Amino acid sequence: MMAMRLLALLFILQFATVNGLAGPLAPPKGIRHYEIGAAPEFSVTDMDGQPFEFAATRGQWVFLHFWASWCGPCREEMPSIQKLVEAFNDHGLRVVLINTAEDEDTIFSFLGEIGMKLNSLMDRDGLVTEKFKPRGLPTTILIDREGKVQYQAIGGREWHKPLYTDFLRQLITDY
Amino acid sequence: MYSLLSILAATAAATQPLGISNKHIDMQFAPRTPHQIMSFYEARGFPPEMIKILSRKCFITVRIHNKSEDIVWHDLTNWHFSHNGKPLKREHRNYWLDKWNAMNMPKASISTFRWTLLPESLDYLPDEEEGGNIILPRVTGPITLNATFPTADKQLGSVISVEYDELYCAEDNAES
Repeated sequence: MMAMRLLALLFILQFATVNGLAGPLAPPKGIRHYEIGAAPEFSVTDMDGQPFEFAATRGQWVFLHFWASWCGPCREEMPSIQKLVEAFNDHGLRVVLINTAEDEDTIFSFLGEIGMKLNSLMDRDGLVTEKFKPRGLPTTILIDREGKVQYQAIGGREWHKPLYTDFLRQLITDY
Repeated sequence: MYSLLSILAATAAATQPLGISNKHIDMQFAPRTPHQIMSFYEARGFPPEMIKILSRKCFITVRIHNKSEDIVWHDLTNWHFSHNGKPLKREHRNYWLDKWNAMNMPKASISTFRWTLLPESLDYLPDEEEGGNIILPRVTGPITLNATFPTADKQLGSVISVEYDELYCAEDNAES
């Protein structure tokens, strides 16, 4: 009887660990836990005028990046984000860029200037950005498959480096 | 209490950042000329009424990087500016928000303006870096900053103290 109980306990412990009940994945330096619950819903258009519904990202981890062309660290970080997009190629990680309160001309001109192929959503009046309460620009927010905010990174990061790609891969694989 | 006295050169051109550095934090300061302020906001389509008001102010861009292994707490209520021995009042971001709303300025301009300001308060985790503008009345001559930064969880660690007396409002004719 005792052996049966021990076996049951072992089974429960193993199940709990496999299913992430051991706690959230510890992030690398520069990324913080930011568990504020469900991400606010929003609908905007991208640079080409195509509509985007945030709700359509359910089931994927989302790398939600707020930026503006006037922000120095945003400019420096953009090539790294392009490499990140190429590395993940939308497999398990949806990279979503949101420009804060600039117009099409400014965004096109900036992305063209630095040779980026990235598309960006346009938060024309800055109100979507306000909803997420980022701590500054640039800010990246990581949202889980269920649409819950889990992590936040403030300032520019070299996202394509193993420090971050390993973390992101583990997130989309195990969580 | 750690003491960080003003350190790095202040003799360079107006647009060159000034700074303070120690083992805990790096702080960089870049005074902006009226011409730079006007160019920046004009390029972003700000209404002339906003630009006119802003170009008469003293803008200093600040960046703070937490180099330590502990939390550094930034709160602008712990920053005190003075000029000729008298306090120099910095306007809170809510002052600007109220002003722009009262003037019925475009939401996009208000939003961009807000993001260009140094946050009122922020807890910098190790390796976090963030910055923004401080807006002061325009004065001639050196400005002194006295600031303190509590550290560690719940602000219970040592306090970093900064005194920097080489700030100034950049003039157009000082632009390099």
